[in-house]
Amino acid sequence: MESVRAKEPPTTTPKQQPQKLKPVHRMLLGFTGKEDRNIFNQIPAHVNKVHVDGLEHTKHDIVIKQVKDVLEAQSIGEICVRAHTAQSKLRKLDIFKDIQFFIDTSKGKQSGTNDYEVIFEVEERRLGGGIHGEVGTNDGAVRTAFKFLNLFGRAENVNMEYSYGTKMTSGSLMFSKPLFENPDILFRTGGYQHHGEYPWSGYRTIDRGLLADIQFPSRLGSHTLSCEGVWRELGCMNRTTAFAVREQAGHSLKYALKHVFARDHRDNNILPNKGTLFTCTQELAGVDDKVLGFVKHNMEFQAFKQLPLSTVFQLSLGGGIMKPLQSGTEVSIQDHFFLGGPLTLRGFNINAVGPSSDGNALGANAYWLGGLHLYTPLPFRIGKGGFDDHFRTHMFVNAGSLGNVNFDSNMKEDLQRLAETYRLSYGLGIVVRIGGLARLELNYCVPAQVRQGDSSNVGLQFGIGVTFS
Amino acid sequence: MASLLADAFAVEIGAKEPWPDNVSLYQPFEVGQILLPDFAACLGVKTYLSMCGLNYELVFKKNAEHMSPSGKVPFMHIGPFLISEFDPIVAFVNTKGFHLSSHLEETERGEMRAYMSLVDNVLLNAELYLSWCQEDVVTEVSRPRYGSVYPWPLNKVLSWKKYYEERRRLKAMGWAQKTLEEVCEEVKTCCQALSEKLDKNLYFFGDNPSELDALVYGHLYTLLTTVLPVSRFAEIIQEFDNLSQFVSRIDSKYHSKDLQH
Repeated sequence: MESVRAKEPPTTTPKQQPQKLKPVHRMLLGFTGKEDRNIFNQIPAHVNKVHVDGLEHTKHDIVIKQVKDVLEAQSIGEICVRAHTAQSKLRKLDIFKDIQFFIDTSKGKQSGTNDYEVIFEVEERRLGGGIHGEVGTNDGAVRTAFKFLNLFGRAENVNMEYSYGTKMTSGSLMFSKPLFENPDILFRTGGYQHHGEYPWSGYRTIDRGLLADIQFPSRLGSHTLSCEGVWRELGCMNRTTAFAVREQAGHSLKYALKHVFARDHRDNNILPNKGTLFTCTQELAGVDDKVLGFVKHNMEFQAFKQLPLSTVFQLSLGGGIMKPLQSGTEVSIQDHFFLGGPLTLRGFNINAVGPSSDGNALGANAYWLGGLHLYTPLPFRIGKGGFDDHFRTHMFVNAGSLGNVNFDSNMKEDLQRLAETYRLSYGLGIVVRIGGLARLELNYCVPAQVRQGDSSNVGLQFGIGVTFS
Repeated sequence: MASLLADAFAVEIGAKEPWPDNVSLYQPFEVGQILLPDFAACLGVKTYLSMCGLNYELVFKKNAEHMSPSGKVPFMHIGPFLISEFDPIVAFVNTKGFHLSSHLEETERGEMRAYMSLVDNVLLNAELYLSWCQEDVVTEVSRPRYGSVYPWPLNKVLSWKKYYEERRRLKAMGWAQKTLEEVCEEVKTCCQALSEKLDKNLYFFGDNPSELDALVYGHLYTLLTTVLPVSRFAEIIQEFDNLSQFVSRIDSKYHSKDLQH
């Protein structure tokens, strides 16, 4: 068994049974009330040695980088917290089946009474995978993944995935590697093929692409920079597809540089009680032979505030705009913004707001969306224990608009029109959180303001998905 | 009172005018993209519409093939309808009340169908063979032209994809395995049959044109005038004088006026 010594001991230590701190003690030390933490933070301690057992294939430098902060600990409480952080960093590398750590007093001639050593026991794994269910907006998929892990010793992983769903089928092969031995900075590259169906617009696509991206954290949030080349093939779903969509059938090439910034400080991603979410996407894309085709911006903001009597207030805002950079660039319907859905602009059918032709939504190059929600616990109790925690009733007001903005002529009028032709709906319903996986809503909606071409849904509307606003 | 009458009048006129003004015919770009068989098909349809005296607008689209509901060009967009390929377009035009072969008897019409079937089976497949099974033509003409409207690397990927698809189809029909000599023999036999039928007449069935004339003209004109590394078919057709004269006659009557483009 390989082991890594982060710091050389003064003398060789005989192998002894370490006095193990039980996991429950670890938790108590770190995560119960402030008073306890203060006590344990006042007991001075010093870490002599950090020891990692169980490494065979993994290179040492990447492991050392994750655990070396434990050496800086000054107190018992700090040792536990730092060790826990090191454990999650190691877990993020995704190459260990099991990671446990133990804190033991340091034995040896030159060890003082406050000297400790921390021992990590890891079990490597070279293969991984599984079958998961995935939820999109009113559609679901089964994803099978198979991974080769830790190819060259520094958490280089190859991930093969195949998803089969109600509206899409996709497969991908991705290679990922943490950069600078930091699991938070992840480089990925690979290829994918994605079959998708878009019945609201009457077309289906086959996208085959290559992509490379880097994800890294910053003080404000996480950034993802990606570049991608996609061969897109668009075909009509049936003979009744609108001619405006049929005109875009065929093959095209799109290459894009994208930057995504995300800052999610909500306490839960399905039914948050407090926190904020802010995401911002910029895309610079070229289409076919136009290297600089269009620029696309998209922003989303959510804020949650807990109010007395267990109610939660939510404010959401979103908006996006797209500008062709060269005149005559044809922006494909696949790049347009769409609006409407049981979780976003409630009271309207999925993506059915805005310009349409023959019953098929065409999308547009600008939109805005806002929502105000008030969540309350259920007025009655259903089951025992925390079951009720997954249910909420909510009252909402949603407003938004989708339209085309012409940058060459009368841009100001177009923007004004976008603000004036707003759609509005309100209602109330029940929100269910399904195990951190999806959000289910059953609402009674009243679309108060509907414009020509929209397809609205008065009355009960059911929605299931992950993204909502 | 007067406006009521005017409205009723307008409605009557509208009902009697079955051919709208905004009919469009879609095909790939003629200059750099279209291939031999597609050109023949499009020309046949255009000639037929000219023979019927019908107006249409010709629209060039690089993705015409993918826009078409059947995957083949040309296709016609008339009101809410989309009709592609020669036979369905002829049938649709007939329902609108325009007939070219109404003067024919049943037996003659049956004969016409037989000849059209012969042309489809021989001339069309010969064109496909020439475009996709003759290596010179494939590498110098077919693949470059097919991919010319797409950026790299799509131009290479799509042209090879089309090459494999067409070859697979020709193999299933038994044409890919033939040699050039065998195909020339088939073309010659077909031209012989057509030449005998045409004889010294102006058109295949008397003095008025029919669908067969449009179809044959489309194929023969294409084979005679397209410059390819392999020009055997043009030579074969030129052996039959009355066919060459037939082609130039229809050309001068229906296409030299350059009605639509």
